Amino acid sequence: MSELIRTPPGAVGALLLALIIVAVLFGPLLAPYDPQTFYTTVRLQGPSADHWLGTDQFGRDLLSRLLHGSRATIAFGLGATGLGVCAGSLIGVSAGVAGGWVDSIIMRTLDGLLAVPDLLFTLLIVTMLGGGTGHAMLAVAVAFTPGMARIARSSVLSIREREYVLAAVARGESQGYIILREVIPNAIGPIVVEATIRVSFAIMIGATLGFLGLGAQPPSTEWGLMVAEARQFMFRSPWGVAVPGLAIAVAALGFNLFGDALRDSFDPRRRR
Amino acid sequence: MERAIVPPVPDAAQAPAPVLEIRDYTLGYNTPAGRFEALKSIDLQVWRGPTLGLVGESGSGKTSLAWAIMRYLPENAVENSGTIELSGENLRAKSVPEILAIRGRRISMVFQDPSTSLNPAIRLGDQIAEVLVQHRGLTLKEARGEGEALLARTGITRPADMMLRYPHEASGGEKQRVVIATAFACNPELIIFDEPTTALDIITARQILELFGRLRDETGVTALYISHDLGLVSRIAQDVAVIHDGVIVERGSCASIFKAPRQPYTKALLAAVPRPDLRIAPPAPDASAGDLLSVEDVSVNYGNAPALLRFLSPPRADAYGARSVSLGVRPGEILGIVGESGSGKSTLAKVLVGLQTFEGRLSFGGRAFTSRRMIDRDYRRAVQIVFQHPDASLNPRQRIGTILSRPLRLYDLVPPADIAARVRALLEEVLLDADFAARYPHQLSGGEKQRVAIARAFAAEPSLVICDEITSSLDVSVQASVARLLIELQRRTGTACIFITHDLNLVRQLAHRIAVMQHGKLVDLFDIADVTSDARDAYTRSLLAAVPIPFDAETDPVTSEAGAGNMP
Repeated sequence: MSELIRTPPGAVGALLLALIIVAVLFGPLLAPYDPQTFYTTVRLQGPSADHWLGTDQFGRDLLSRLLHGSRATIAFGLGATGLGVCAGSLIGVSAGVAGGWVDSIIMRTLDGLLAVPDLLFTLLIVTMLGGGTGHAMLAVAVAFTPGMARIARSSVLSIREREYVLAAVARGESQGYIILREVIPNAIGPIVVEATIRVSFAIMIGATLGFLGLGAQPPSTEWGLMVAEARQFMFRSPWGVAVPGLAIAVAALGFNLFGDALRDSFDPRRRR
Repeated sequence: MERAIVPPVPDAAQAPAPVLEIRDYTLGYNTPAGRFEALKSIDLQVWRGPTLGLVGESGSGKTSLAWAIMRYLPENAVENSGTIELSGENLRAKSVPEILAIRGRRISMVFQDPSTSLNPAIRLGDQIAEVLVQHRGLTLKEARGEGEALLARTGITRPADMMLRYPHEASGGEKQRVVIATAFACNPELIIFDEPTTALDIITARQILELFGRLRDETGVTALYISHDLGLVSRIAQDVAVIHDGVIVERGSCASIFKAPRQPYTKALLAAVPRPDLRIAPPAPDASAGDLLSVEDVSVNYGNAPALLRFLSPPRADAYGARSVSLGVRPGEILGIVGESGSGKSTLAKVLVGLQTFEGRLSFGGRAFTSRRMIDRDYRRAVQIVFQHPDASLNPRQRIGTILSRPLRLYDLVPPADIAARVRALLEEVLLDADFAARYPHQLSGGEKQRVAIARAFAAEPSLVICDEITSSLDVSVQASVARLLIELQRRTGTACIFITHDLNLVRQLAHRIAVMQHGKLVDLFDIADVTSDARDAYTRSLLAAVPIPFDAETDPVTSEAGAGNMP
């Protein structure tokens, strides 16, 4: 951990993530107002002593909505990535271990899916399943699966040829032991790193879906949805769009920088 | 022409100022863990005429010194003191454009691996021509003509043809000739050779050395020859400097250092160089006992397409890793297998431990195995392998104790309660402290890791251990101690051993019989006593000739065949 925050980007990433974690864990306690209460006298205000980040078109306090909305937004990012990573790793590791024509068929299929951009893929699935947070999360997870499978597979393929794995095969170890004890512990690094970086994409796609009205639905509080709702009024008061937009950017940046630092710390050439 | 590769010593009066003079030079690297001192108060002079060999093990600072002379240091390098003078001009005081004009023009460098020192996307001819255009101001057309002449001088038979090739279309030896031609292109004052033969096969390396000697004699260039190989340096250099931990511990003429080293480090280094006349193996076992393991007509074809597609592509003749190899290993014997890279020796090792599908038959313990699938756990326990790279052969996520206990558990060799004690005993057998069991592989040095790998192989109580180039990635002194350890274990346990290597001097020190492989075929198999017999295969003889016994001027057949640049 101390290695991770030694570089400036790593330290900034960790700091941003710490901010996000505080918001997620203690947001509702810290929020000065109820996120759903309309204060009709102070609609579309800029920052002030009463409302630090201003108010939206219904006079709801933006800071409170931001803090409350962090849970849905971050949970979406982590959940969608988690599902995608699990499914992708399972497929990728199986393909890498099986090899031969099983590998060829799985990977060519995934290559086809990879040709479709993530957002388009997600929209396609949401269109088929219908909107809502759960479906949107599933859609993002499915969209992430081919890419994660690719990374898991290549990681397994490179580990599989290492001499310690060959030594285990030569010893007559069971396939299960080799995969679980020799291959996966050493292949996990790149997968974890990629997953961390992908959380930021998931948050952005989740926000995009919310913005398009395909993800979280009103009156729930979610950052992408906040941007969507405030969009009509953005020329009268930019705060309603800027505040949640910035929050999304900060969260994405935090995960991204942290992921980069994580990758560097796994890279032995950058160690010491 | 006894030692023609070494030029005569110039008169002391005739050699005024050194071409390269380094005085009190200190270099460190800033790392997160603090300052690492790579070079400490180096004093070194290279005169015109005698080649200076700089000998050191990995981490000794020899390559740092080369980069410092080339003025090509990483950002975290800190030079604390000293001067580096080329013909009296201090290179440290030069500006970047001045250094750019000097590099390639007045100092050039030949690197270890020609496949990485050439740009794969540019034709070989253009890479030579570029230097000539840049530094000698020739037009491209003139430079190409000159380049052809330079290539011809390095013994390339069809230089015009070679000029048009890309690096991947040339062999390792040809590429290194091109690099050398480029280094000589501007008649520099100084050429630094950084292990120019280490990445090459034995016979190619020999030819490159001969080329080096010939070009040096023709051009009279001043050369600094960096190497870890004392035996090699003793043959091509006149003076030697031994570097250890960033300090030049001893320097003098080759003859004085090799005959009478003064410093303990130099003595230890010399003692570690394998010499075929100093056998370390126990006496050969009785040959009448029959074979422990026999390999009968084994072939490996890497070109085989998957079963479904086989009718589309018939097996390719050039894709054989091994072709109809037959040989036997006797109980308790050390069988050496030698050959150049691609000769099939590692393929054979993989077949023997069930890592490679094969055609043919293995017989072991009264059973016959005709395919990889038939190889079962009993066989695998009895035949163990130690790999080449100590860094890759231990799982970085497991503690040494876990690694060593694995064979004990897998083959049920000791009751679970006694495993920890057995692991300690194993560590002690390979001369490591018992508390190594709690460490991770990255906390160990290369030699220590290789000891653990050997302990893991012997933990299975095997009857045959296959050692696949186990000493080739280790430093000379570590190599000697690992080889001695293996012999000691072998003597104590009576385990047979197949020792695969490309180091002929080492294998002659410890093997009872030697098998020679070339292009996947077994070309020779003989008792160690018959190594110089006339019955040896021509290829065996050319291998032996390429690696003379170190420090032995009498038997060194160096340059009688110096012109033989196109040996097979």
